[in-house]
Amino acid sequence: MATVEERVKAVTARVLKVPQEQIKLKHSFTVDLGAESVQSVELVAMFEEEFGIEMDEESALAVETVGKAVEYITNTCKEQGVDVEQ
Amino acid sequence: MNQKRQERSSKNLRKKHHLTDATEPNLLEDTFPYELPPLIRLEGTAVEYIDGEPVEFDFGAVKDRDILISDTTFRDGQQARPPYTIEQMVHIYDLMSRLSGPNGVIRQSEFFLYTKNDRETLDRCRALGHKYPECTGWIRAFKGDFRLVKEVGLRETGILTSCSDYHVFHKLKFRSRSQCIDAYCEIVDAAFEAGVRPRCHLEDLTRADIEGFVLPFVDRLMEMSEQVPEELSVKIRLCDTLGFGVSYPGVRLPRSIPKLIYKLNRECGVPSERLEWHGHNDFHKVHANAGTAWLYGCDFVNTTLFGFGERTGNPPLESAVFEYIAIKGDLCGIDTQAITELADYMRSIGLPIPENYPFVGRSFNTTRAGIHADGLRQDERIYNIFDTGKLLGRPPRVAITDKSGADGVTHWVNEFFGLKGKDRINKIKVHKLARWVIDQYDEHGRLTAISDQEMEAQVKELMPEYWEKYKSD
Repeated sequence: MATVEERVKAVTARVLKVPQEQIKLKHSFTVDLGAESVQSVELVAMFEEEFGIEMDEESALAVETVGKAVEYITNTCKEQGVDVEQ
Repeated sequence: MNQKRQERSSKNLRKKHHLTDATEPNLLEDTFPYELPPLIRLEGTAVEYIDGEPVEFDFGAVKDRDILISDTTFRDGQQARPPYTIEQMVHIYDLMSRLSGPNGVIRQSEFFLYTKNDRETLDRCRALGHKYPECTGWIRAFKGDFRLVKEVGLRETGILTSCSDYHVFHKLKFRSRSQCIDAYCEIVDAAFEAGVRPRCHLEDLTRADIEGFVLPFVDRLMEMSEQVPEELSVKIRLCDTLGFGVSYPGVRLPRSIPKLIYKLNRECGVPSERLEWHGHNDFHKVHANAGTAWLYGCDFVNTTLFGFGERTGNPPLESAVFEYIAIKGDLCGIDTQAITELADYMRSIGLPIPENYPFVGRSFNTTRAGIHADGLRQDERIYNIFDTGKLLGRPPRVAITDKSGADGVTHWVNEFFGLKGKDRINKIKVHKLARWVIDQYDEHGRLTAISDQEMEAQVKELMPEYWEKYKSD
């Protein structure tokens, strides 16, 4: 099974239409990867779908970087009893 | 007036107007207070020539007169649609009472008395224990019908006393006017005997022979009223059955509302508190005519919720409420938000309310043009009639465009489903719809706003689980 990081990058690449190999953990979704307002919402929705979790709208949309997203999703999966590869 | 006099007169009226320069806006808040509907500030008197003589009407006095609204949603309103269920009528009556407020601005509501369901509805409405609107009845001018009023124990009932010759001769088949008046007066007598106040509905008044039939009939009713206690004295409903009434001065009888009211009020001596205007909207004059009746001395205007009534309908009750507030300059205890609840309820039971219908239509305060939306963003008063958020629970809206963003789309969806507080759908769940909106502009080059109908169709397709949950009924 792919790791959380790999899956987060795959979703990000698909939604923002950027090559997956160019996505770094330190990248900001908006500044570096060019996410517009609606795309930020789509990213959160796609993460929910990918991991089978529910995220809090406000705190999820406040996550700025890919690395923070990996961390946030890992914690949410743990809280909601969803098994993932670290 | 000959041409020379006309020229001189118009020359004399010309004058120079000087700019009052200002660096601060004057928003005319005396008239447009925003937290209330724009006020109708009446001053001075109006003059109408009646029988060749100038007659003054004191419009300024209306603010202090006891003008009121009556309702016929369950009678005239119901004549225009399949019957309401008992539960529906009881619920509507309950909300109407809330709207009316403790002062009983909506003073009366009339009910059919003919069927078992009619009578059960009346009983259940009265069992709610509301002081206002008082329940009154409606019967034809048949003696047999009067038994119904007595059985249900009402204090007042409307009686159909049609007064144009179209009705007297062609519908009711009387042999003469005098025979017709005798028959009507017999019913009025029966009402007096039973201790019930008769309210004579002068059907088709605006197409009747006023001097030759109506006024002699009303004179006789007034004479009869002098023989009974004040609380039984006849009330008169002026029925503009086909909407022929005209509000402005200079119009001949029988179409002139000012003259009709003058004749009944001052020549026949029917006090203002016993006069009621009942209009129809066949010529788009219905609300203005009702307001006119108030001004010229008729204390009651008879209305239906959302103007729904026979053919083109009646004066809309909710418009009369705003007119009342505008004249009085005060809410007078009226709970205007009940109007929105009533509209939501009516829609839920299948009453069609057009999108652009004032005060309650889905788009009544939705602005579409980008420049208007920009104005609304800067100051909502620029394109909103009054504080619709406060008075109707309906803040002004902006139609969906490329500038709406996920927040705007989410706002639209929650309003569409009527979701509030913790029930509101968050924007994560609306992402497909937000994407569809953006793509309309970015991918398809759209230049116009997206209509509510289009949004509805997309909600149904892209958010089926929510559609199922909130709209499946």
